[in-house]
Amino acid sequence: MGGEMKKIRMCREHPAIVCRCEDITLEDIEKAIEAGCNNVQCVKTMLRLSMGPCQGRTCIPLIVRILARRLGKNPEELHVPSSRPPLVPLQAELFCR
Amino acid sequence: MIVGGGISGLFTAYFLANRVDPEKILLVERSYIGSGSTLRCATGIRASFTTEEHIVLMKRSIEYWLELSRELGFYLRRGGYVWLLQEEHLDAFKEYSQLHNRFGVPTRIVDREFVAELVPSINQDMFAAALHDPLAMQADPFEVIHTLTRFLKSTGVKIQEFTEVTKLVLDHERKNVEAVVTNKGEIPAENIVVAAGTGTKNLLKSVGVDAPLEPLPKHILITMRYRRLFDPLLIDWASNSYIVQSRYGGFIVGAELAENTSGEAINRIDYMPHAVRIWSKFFKWFPKVYILRYWTGYYVMTPDHHPVYGPVEGVDGVYIAAGFSGHGFMLGPVTGYVTSRWVIDGDPGIAQAKNLMLARFTMGRLIREKAVIG
Ligand SMILES: Cc1cc2nc3c(=O)[nH]c(=O)nc-3n(C[C@H](O)[C@H](O)[C@H](O)COP(=O)(O)OP(=O)(O)OC[C@H]3O[C@@H](n4cnc5c(N)ncnc54)[C@H](O)[C@@H]3O)c2cc1C
Repeated sequence: MGGEMKKIRMCREHPAIVCRCEDITLEDIEKAIEAGCNNVQCVKTMLRLSMGPCQGRTCIPLIVRILARRLGKNPEELHVPSSRPPLVPLQAELFCR
Repeated sequence: MIVGGGISGLFTAYFLANRVDPEKILLVERSYIGSGSTLRCATGIRASFTTEEHIVLMKRSIEYWLELSRELGFYLRRGGYVWLLQEEHLDAFKEYSQLHNRFGVPTRIVDREFVAELVPSINQDMFAAALHDPLAMQADPFEVIHTLTRFLKSTGVKIQEFTEVTKLVLDHERKNVEAVVTNKGEIPAENIVVAAGTGTKNLLKSVGVDAPLEPLPKHILITMRYRRLFDPLLIDWASNSYIVQSRYGGFIVGAELAENTSGEAINRIDYMPHAVRIWSKFFKWFPKVYILRYWTGYYVMTPDHHPVYGPVEGVDGVYIAAGFSGHGFMLGPVTGYVTSRWVIDGDPGIAQAKNLMLARFTMGRLIREKAVIG
């Protein structure tokens, strides 16, 4: 776990999970916001949110809502990361048939 | 003022802040910090290059990486690099190794058994021998940029994201730079470091400076996480491809596809098959791994594959840090060091950096790097 994440995850009081793949809670996100994050890219790169096997399908809609509410911004202002192929994890051999 | 919030701009701010009042330093970034090439890179750091300039600067950069990782507390792992070679590459790499050794980088040619000890599952029939660079390392760009950003802000450096510089402004004698125009208004500045990656060429053009910087599209993928199978970054020199297991266990794979400079970096249908075919020959487990994500980015290339550093003749107050040709992440700390020295002392502090100024292209003093990967 990264230094940044370690600091942010030092103590967790409630376990509301936002990103299951990378084990990130609502509280982690609130701490990232306190540390100055004001868009999705910042939360992603600081906490690794959306970088696991689901590639953000669950956590991106959640984080957009959380940030929009907490920061009073429109979703368009929140710099949502691009979706990247292959969208769902695919076994390498599928590409070589 | 620093234009560009990638690794070069951040480390320049870091070294400047050590010497001058941090509150006088402003870094502007057109999008979010790291959004250019920096967060797309393959995390590799090495000094096994083919010119004195690169070897000396990279070696110093490695020293800074080690020092700063302790000081600022970010991850760094010394896994080394293994260049997998065919018979016909050996003579050239023996020479490169001698050059490395001359400048204190202890690489050597090693046999297949040596490689198999470092990388137990590798297919030894796929290469004749290898060059081992034990100094090479990997960092975590995400953590580095957040750590640096947080540290810089704590010292008083101002970092302004989502601010795009559209041009540099000269004084009425057209000799000194005095401001920049941004999408959020004009900002006065005495000294401007242009560390703007793919945006550098246009900014220099706005003050009549022509720099041979061309963006070249690059392709890279990462797999899901697996337990650690090997430490080094491996290069297959024949296909110009690399594989490294990231900090978190995913395999990062980059492989060269023929591309044109100034082409747009977009996903190509042929990339994943190409990358998978190469590494499936080296590892019988590779066809079974799950590919998680494929992305693209740019190497900003120069004609001799070395960066452009330092002040610009005829335009006082403008300094360049760009054109890293695929090596800007590893050079980050030394880029910051030489650039800050140039701004404050008028001298880069490392003699070899002077050979990398813009004027080398008009004077015909190119220094060719032959070991560009990916
Ligand atoms: C696939 C891939 C793999 C790589 N692997 C490695 C590796 O293993 N090791 C290594 O050392 N290097 C690697 N590189 C190269 C490395 O990523 C770059 O050399 C390095 O990140 C350059 O950093 P920079 O700060 O100079 O530029 P950038 O990170 O591109 O930063 C420049 C910043 O300037 C901003 N900007 C541009 N124009 C303007 C403007 N007009 N106004 C305001 N801001 C502006 C951009 O938004 C950008 O954030 C790789 C690159 C790619 C694409």
